[in-house]
Amino acid sequence: MLELVDLYKRFGDVVALNGAGFTVQRGRILGFLGPNGAGKTTAMRVVFGLVRPDSGSVQWAGSPVGAAERLHFGYMPEERGLYPKMKVRDQLVHFSRLSGLSKSEADHAVDHWLGELGLSDRGDSKLEDLSHGNQQRVQLAAALAPNPDLLILDEPFAGLDPIGVASLSGTLQSLASGGVTIVFSSHQLDLVEDVCEDVAIINEGRVVLTGSLDDIRNRSTKRRLTVDVNGEPWVPKDAGTTVVDQQGRSHCIVDGDAPISDLLTEASAAGTVNTFMFEPPRLTDLFREAVES
Amino acid sequence: MSPWRQVALLAKRDFTERATSRPFLITMSLLVVAILAVGPIVNLLSGDGAEVTEIGLQGTEPPGIEQELQAQAQILEMEIDVVRYPDRATADTALTDGEAAVVLVDGTTIVFHTDESSRLVALVGGAVTTAVKTSTLSDFGLSDSEVAAVVEPVPLDVVTLEVADPQEDAKSVAAFVGTLVLYISILMFGQFVAMGTVEEKQNRVVEVILARVRPWQVLVGKVVGIGLLGLLQLALLGGAAYITAQLADLSDIDLAEIGLPIIAGVFFWFVLGYTFYAFLYAAVGSTVSRQEDLQGAMMLPIILILPGYFIALIAAESPDALLPTFASMFPPWAPFVMPVRIAAGVAQPWEIAIAVVGTGLAAAALVWIGSRVYAGAVLRTGGRVKLREAWRSAGE
Repeated sequence: MLELVDLYKRFGDVVALNGAGFTVQRGRILGFLGPNGAGKTTAMRVVFGLVRPDSGSVQWAGSPVGAAERLHFGYMPEERGLYPKMKVRDQLVHFSRLSGLSKSEADHAVDHWLGELGLSDRGDSKLEDLSHGNQQRVQLAAALAPNPDLLILDEPFAGLDPIGVASLSGTLQSLASGGVTIVFSSHQLDLVEDVCEDVAIINEGRVVLTGSLDDIRNRSTKRRLTVDVNGEPWVPKDAGTTVVDQQGRSHCIVDGDAPISDLLTEASAAGTVNTFMFEPPRLTDLFREAVES
Repeated sequence: MSPWRQVALLAKRDFTERATSRPFLITMSLLVVAILAVGPIVNLLSGDGAEVTEIGLQGTEPPGIEQELQAQAQILEMEIDVVRYPDRATADTALTDGEAAVVLVDGTTIVFHTDESSRLVALVGGAVTTAVKTSTLSDFGLSDSEVAAVVEPVPLDVVTLEVADPQEDAKSVAAFVGTLVLYISILMFGQFVAMGTVEEKQNRVVEVILARVRPWQVLVGKVVGIGLLGLLQLALLGGAAYITAQLADLSDIDLAEIGLPIIAGVFFWFVLGYTFYAFLYAAVGSTVSRQEDLQGAMMLPIILILPGYFIALIAAESPDALLPTFASMFPPWAPFVMPVRIAAGVAQPWEIAIAVVGTGLAAAALVWIGSRVYAGAVLRTGGRVKLREAWRSAGE
């Protein structure tokens, strides 16, 4: 179990972390969400000792995280970077050995992950000779090859094509079912909804919402209402609703105890109702609510 | 996994990647080949073994002159060939073409091409005088042994008040070359450290590394890896120089007495001086984000190194002067100046001790200062980070 407890960090006048904290259980995938500049990268860097927090702590399996624990963590930073002129296999073995693997363990793990990520034939190429997508895969392999117990990935899906997204999602899910704890940040909320069981939403250095996706959905007092009348999106006249435009379709967020039958009657009066959906809010709704409130 | 094991892995990567890089291999091969070529070239220019001087004779000859020329040459430790020319024109051509060094015409005139040589004047003049005296005395009726007794040169002992060190010139040349090699090596491998640091910062790999190890480990690993490369280069160049000295048949230089202490000294002072400067180079390297900005940042170490080299040149002339004496014990300059003063034989043991211990302590302090600046600056990208800012932010 990974616990970030009450982290504070200030860079000059900028407050990067303002009491941030969340918990991830072993073998779970947590989506770490937040607007740009909310403190995601700083919080991740704190886990790896790259940033020293002004106060607060990071715990792994109940004890404070130090250099020895970090060797069992894998990290893919937002700013991708490896040695451009070094051969792919050589640098993956180098990083695995830095994480404490023996030569033979490292060779074995690197072969495994090169195969798993479809890079078996690129091991002897220089990194700079690979396509952008393949370089991204090598970066992931650098985080995975030491066989970490905890994987922290900063925007791992950024820049991947749909096939890459699907294959990375599959990899993360199979790692998690094997007991690896995973935290990743992303702005692609639909994706997070598909891949993650847990989320933590950070805003202005403070975690404003965290828990299992099902829980926070059900806990929410809001519901998403999507109505289609005569082939057009329809919105009730009630002032208490919020209209959200997304991909040309309108839906609204209404209170959970909104009178459904009254709304349906109102919609029917406007024309033929093709669609009438009253459902728990989606992650994107929860995100907006948490960040904008 | 112990921190030092990780340092060794980091050092190994820096060493291997650079040692097997094409630019390094090409530069090293060219340098070694160039040094190895010097020996045979020197031999070629100086000809095979001792030089043979050609002495010409034309017209009337004093009796027995050839024998006397050889006898004089032996006294002067020269090797000569005597050549006869049928006429003056041929003799002059031989002089102009440089075949003959000097021609004796009619036993009365010594002819040179452009510059006269007092040594050859003495040789030919002595031979003519002896030949003429011998024949005159024979005409007086003296026997051969009587003649010989008269014209035989009186043996004189040659004594000097002080015995000059026959190796002195060779020693000062070797010390000069040693200082130059030391200066270039420290500058070159220090810059490698700075470039390597910026490279890792520029391509962001440093965050991947620092997620696994502490900043001081990265720094020490890099300095050690590149330092070993420096020692390898010194060993290759030193070895090539040793071989070329053997090939050049520089028999008047005692390699064991001069070459080896100089080579050992260069290695020793390289380790001290490089350690001191490498951590400084790494610290300033970590303050910039792009190779293009590195030149400006590297001014600081260069400003420190340059005076050391120039004072070393002064020390070669006057090793006992105040400035070289002081500089040879001042850590940033000791690695350049002290070896020169040691070679000159004027450095006191206590002065050497201060230089070694002082530079060692200063290097250790720079490991600490450099690591802290590095830690404070290496994850900050964008513009150049001020050294003081980096120092302070690492302490936060």
